[in-house]
Amino acid sequence: MNLAQQIINGLVLGSGYALIAIGWTVLLGAARLVNFAHGQLYMLAAFLAWAAMQQYGVDYYVAVPIAVLALGLLGVVLQGVMLPLVMQQNLTSLMIVTLGFGYVFQGGAARVFGGDPQRLISPLQAESIRYGDIWFTLQDVVTLAGTLMLFGFLWLVMNRTRLGALVRSVAEDPKLAQLFGIDASRVYIGVFVFECAAVALGAGLVAPRSPILTSMGFDEVILTFVVVVLGGIGSVGGSLLAGFGLGMFTALFGALVSPAYTTAAAFLLLLIVLVTRPDGLAARR
Amino acid sequence: MTRIATPLALLLAALAYFVPAAAGGTPVVYAACTTIAILAVMAYGADLILSYLGEVSLGHTIFWAAGGYAAAMLSVGPGWNGWMTAGASVAIALVLACVLGWVTLRTREFVFSLVTYAAAVVAMEVAFNWSFLGGSDGIVGVPPLELTLFGRGITGSTNAELWPVAWGLLMLTLLFIQRFRQSRLGTSALMVQMNPDLAQALGVDARSVRFLVFVASAPISALAGWLYAYQRAYVGPDMFESYFLVLMLTAIVIVGRRLLLGPLIGTALIIVQQTFFSIGGDGDKIVLGAVLAAILLVWPKGLIGLWELMRVRRA
Repeated sequence: MNLAQQIINGLVLGSGYALIAIGWTVLLGAARLVNFAHGQLYMLAAFLAWAAMQQYGVDYYVAVPIAVLALGLLGVVLQGVMLPLVMQQNLTSLMIVTLGFGYVFQGGAARVFGGDPQRLISPLQAESIRYGDIWFTLQDVVTLAGTLMLFGFLWLVMNRTRLGALVRSVAEDPKLAQLFGIDASRVYIGVFVFECAAVALGAGLVAPRSPILTSMGFDEVILTFVVVVLGGIGSVGGSLLAGFGLGMFTALFGALVSPAYTTAAAFLLLLIVLVTRPDGLAARR
Repeated sequence: MTRIATPLALLLAALAYFVPAAAGGTPVVYAACTTIAILAVMAYGADLILSYLGEVSLGHTIFWAAGGYAAAMLSVGPGWNGWMTAGASVAIALVLACVLGWVTLRTREFVFSLVTYAAAVVAMEVAFNWSFLGGSDGIVGVPPLELTLFGRGITGSTNAELWPVAWGLLMLTLLFIQRFRQSRLGTSALMVQMNPDLAQALGVDARSVRFLVFVASAPISALAGWLYAYQRAYVGPDMFESYFLVLMLTAIVIVGRRLLLGPLIGTALIIVQQTFFSIGGDGDKIVLGAVLAAILLVWPKGLIGLWELMRVRRA
């Protein structure tokens, strides 16, 4: 095994995990909302970008922003529909509702885009970089840089701006925030739109790595679960660390033990952490 | 009204025995009715958690699949009869539920859901990759169900032959749920969900209640999976598919939570739509998901809530 190559692979995988997870992390932190349609949103974004390129001959660099924009709009609609439940903080019902949405997206996408595997082709994927016996693509570099920039930007917004303070105050106590004249519903919508747009960006950058299927939904983003919970509910920095940690774990476990059981091993790791440190990593308050 | 509601519900369910014969008795009708009974029993397992603990278990496909795999492996390999495979299904489900219940003992709300979902993913990956469990091909050639006592009983594999078993299993499940609702555990569970402070003041240990309810729910879904293995004569990793998960949850919420016949009617509505009014596999997915989301968004109490609303308006 080439250790240097596996570390590179871990970094690449990890940046993808962190990027796909970030929207969910922010949503969970600010609105306590678990979006089980997250995987289907990823799938939808990948297919929208693909359709834009295939059917309308749009460039990859235009197709990805289109997908981000479209998912952002979808986010407004979805959160608008869910708003009464979100304001009541009826979390159990919300969880099931998002599961239903995910199922609708999956069925709808299969009808519109067909059941065949497709490829979202990025010109950057073809540009490979060799350095001694390690190898990566330009797409990997862009994903890593994009992830770090998005996290840096998000950290600045959350901790250094008035907007971030608003989101944090609603996350802390929505009723109290409303007493101070903060419109919590707008914060919720904004956060949900961010989630949808962020997962679309993630799909645009990560999906070119492998064939895309309308049924991939959760399978593709299943590991972001681990990132979200391990990183600490709603913690931006924690997600980044957990993303890279998980990427390293996946790369090394796949190379050293067994690629078939990688997801199971990652989830087992999560279960162990939750049993041994239930409060430290996923405390309710 | 409420006093006769429960016996009436059980009587109605008992009369359902004659539905397939009354509806023409064709193989399609028997298949639909047997499937409804099996999937309703599966849903009742998850119903115990959702209705009485107020938590969303996304891990009940594990017990469902465990029951199916136990039935398939033990009837194909050592050639066990139906009673023995059913016992094994229950035992395996209890063991798995104890482990998962212990792991999730201190988790609540979405963390509980995430962890049960994570466990289901692990289980599916294990079933998919481990050749002992048949790997991605699953286990084929499950023999006809042999459920005899003193030389009398049922041996069969067609839906018409399995229908009495499916109906019997459904009735047993309903009686169990009914007993549970009136039991100390059932009332404690509701109290823990509705008013945890009161429960604590009365000396109810919330954690042990949650654990016991979770463990009690597992064999129900497992026995459904047990019969499903005989119905299809095959088990495979597809028993972990989100279809079953979404179906369970929709069946529970569609009519209204905490209703004895709720999951049964819900399952019947869904399967009748998919059998007789199907608009294609993907279309049915859209219908199922949209119904699930719409019910919770528009009538959170389910169809029964709609009925109450109409009654109030009329009055």
